[in-house]
Amino acid sequence: MFSKKTAEQIKFETRPNRVGAKAFYNNPKYRGWIYQSVLFVFLIGFFYSIVSNTLDNMSAQGIKSGFSFLNTSAGFDVLMSLIPFDTTDSYLQIFIIGILNTILVSVIGIIFSTILGFIFGIAYFSRNWLINKIAVIYVEIFRNIPVILQVIFWYTVFNALPIARESLNLGDAVFLNVTGLYFPKLVGESGSGVVYGAIVVAILAIFAIKRWAKKRQELTGEQFPILWTSLGIFFGLPLLALLITGLPFHLDYPALKGFNFKGGISVIPELISLAIALSVYTGAFIAEAVRAGIQSVPQGQTEAARSIGLKESKIMSLIIVPQSMRVITPMLNSEYQSLVKNTTIATAIGYPELFTVFAGSALNQVGQAVEIMFMTLAIYFVINMVISLVMNHFNKRTELSAR
Amino acid sequence: MSVKQFKPLPAQPAPIMTAGPIAWVRDNLFSSTFNIIATILIIGSLVAVLPGMIDWLFISANWSGTSQSDCVKDGACWVFISAWSQQIFYGSYPTDELWRVNLCLFLLAGVIALSFILPDRLRNKVAVPAFLLLPFIGLLFLDGSMIGLPQVTTNLWGGFSLNVLLAAASIIIAFPFGFLWALGRRSDMPFARSVSVTCIEFFRGTPILALFFMGSVMLPLFFPADVNVDKLLRVWIILVLFMSAYMAEVFRSGFQAIPSGQYEAADSIGLGYWQKTLLIIFPQVIKVSMPNILATFVMVFKNTVFLLVIAVPEMLQVIMSALSNSNWLGGHAIEGYLFVAFIFWACCFSMSLLATSIEKKLDTSHNK
Repeated sequence: MFSKKTAEQIKFETRPNRVGAKAFYNNPKYRGWIYQSVLFVFLIGFFYSIVSNTLDNMSAQGIKSGFSFLNTSAGFDVLMSLIPFDTTDSYLQIFIIGILNTILVSVIGIIFSTILGFIFGIAYFSRNWLINKIAVIYVEIFRNIPVILQVIFWYTVFNALPIARESLNLGDAVFLNVTGLYFPKLVGESGSGVVYGAIVVAILAIFAIKRWAKKRQELTGEQFPILWTSLGIFFGLPLLALLITGLPFHLDYPALKGFNFKGGISVIPELISLAIALSVYTGAFIAEAVRAGIQSVPQGQTEAARSIGLKESKIMSLIIVPQSMRVITPMLNSEYQSLVKNTTIATAIGYPELFTVFAGSALNQVGQAVEIMFMTLAIYFVINMVISLVMNHFNKRTELSAR
Repeated sequence: MSVKQFKPLPAQPAPIMTAGPIAWVRDNLFSSTFNIIATILIIGSLVAVLPGMIDWLFISANWSGTSQSDCVKDGACWVFISAWSQQIFYGSYPTDELWRVNLCLFLLAGVIALSFILPDRLRNKVAVPAFLLLPFIGLLFLDGSMIGLPQVTTNLWGGFSLNVLLAAASIIIAFPFGFLWALGRRSDMPFARSVSVTCIEFFRGTPILALFFMGSVMLPLFFPADVNVDKLLRVWIILVLFMSAYMAEVFRSGFQAIPSGQYEAADSIGLGYWQKTLLIIFPQVIKVSMPNILATFVMVFKNTVFLLVIAVPEMLQVIMSALSNSNWLGGHAIEGYLFVAFIFWACCFSMSLLATSIEKKLDTSHNK
């Protein structure tokens, strides 16, 4: 039971006598210090030269340093922003708009790529030969084509759509044309607060029922139809509230005014192309992860489940998928992180996320590359850290507890 | 009190057919209600979409000609691709000097083939130095000024060969760096370990596009004012650092796969640290890491397309500038992108097939 270091030291002490074998530079303890001091000196020199060169170059080019530029007016427009914005606003606001747009497209991408990934990952195990082949083809095509090419492709397809006057029209409510996707907005009137309240109550009730049902199953072994009850409560309670308050909502339909649509919710083509490309690309990797996870569950589990007479659909949802989550969750973590990093490809089509507006447009105008890159990278690190924390928390709950 | 009598069910009739095409169709396409509906829906949509696509791609496509006026039929205009094929593959590299690019690609293919053919005894001794020399030989030939050939400046390099050579040159140089970082991460020296961890986490956590951007806007600031580092060289540095971080993680998992008995055996015969690492551990790490190394290479190869954002004329950038050429303004974007997609798909797919086959060959577990 030697630790590594003592083993090394024993070797050093018992080594046959060579010239210099007992010299201080051959002692592992001192040698470690020597290596590390050399590395330290090298790094200090390296960073010193970088910093001094950068300062020299910046003063030669007349670039200021510091973060005071954040308060000055940006003077350019942003294609899309989730908060009110006009061209006199500051770079700090540009920064925040960029972050919000990055988060928006990341969340959309994560949701849809997970759905796609699970559908195709499970479809791989379908007994239907066609479904299995479609899952294989989906994965092999979309993960092997560079994502930036995919986003440019979808953007090109979008640009081939008809103009606003000849929009693709779905029931006079949803419109799709070259300027984007338009659909109705739900507008609340007085009394709508009661309905929102009902939704909150419904969610809380579902959690309570879930806990109660779990406890009851542990005590008596009786199962409670949680899914149907939850669905009933989730839709029933708000519906009741709607009827009591007399439908305090109306839909704001998009309508063609002049050259484009007004009203409703509009989604710009850049966002749609980016979301499609990221979801489809990451979805292919998630499908692979799901497949690997399901394959990691021993065959005996399926056989045992069959032998106690579970239905095939129940075997998947109750036995296989929960166990495969141990393998899938860590992989999902890294796929989500690479999805967030890949949102930077927005810069190829001009969707105004953080990288495009801040490290692109703002950097072009201000020229303070060091500060702006530092701020931009810090945000990506923070977002990825949050994802990592959430997924690790989730992982703790699914991982196999060692006995 | 009546005792329940055991009554066996009557014997089931034998299944109608369990072999042959009809049984296969029944089992694989129409085994349940859900499957029947799914099969009909899928076949229906294939019938609706496929004939039109095949017609557009192949039958009514324009295959021969040299200019846009030759695209007379309704289908895809592949003339666009063939007319631009030299630029797509070689960028603006001078036509008379193309043999140099070909030579580099040939050398690369040769060394890769060599590392598979050579007997085990020679493999690491010959293949590793050959790989490490390759990027520098490539540089000498592609640039040419140092060996007496007419110089071709890097702004003329481009096209698909640039994607391939840049990715290959990066992974080769990233190999030793990644190995050192992985060793550093496993080392007992606290400072060396934290430096390695910081490097690895920084380059893995940063979007590759942001790294390329830093290569184009920040790296020039880091060098002394009178040193003008070539743009492609800066990109290469960035790619090497980025790759090294990923390779370090690949090697780390490789290290973890080596049983501790191997280390102890090396210690017991009195090998020093570097002897132990290079002679005993390294060959085994390479062997188990091979599929992951290929996967990392595929990733970097795909990421070379990101270079178009900082105006490096790689393949997709060539296509995009060809699309805006005044002689070809006719909307051949779909053809162009499909072609790039197909080329990348073919390369990446064949590499992932190779990775799977290596993995299968190395898999000696019995739990099948």
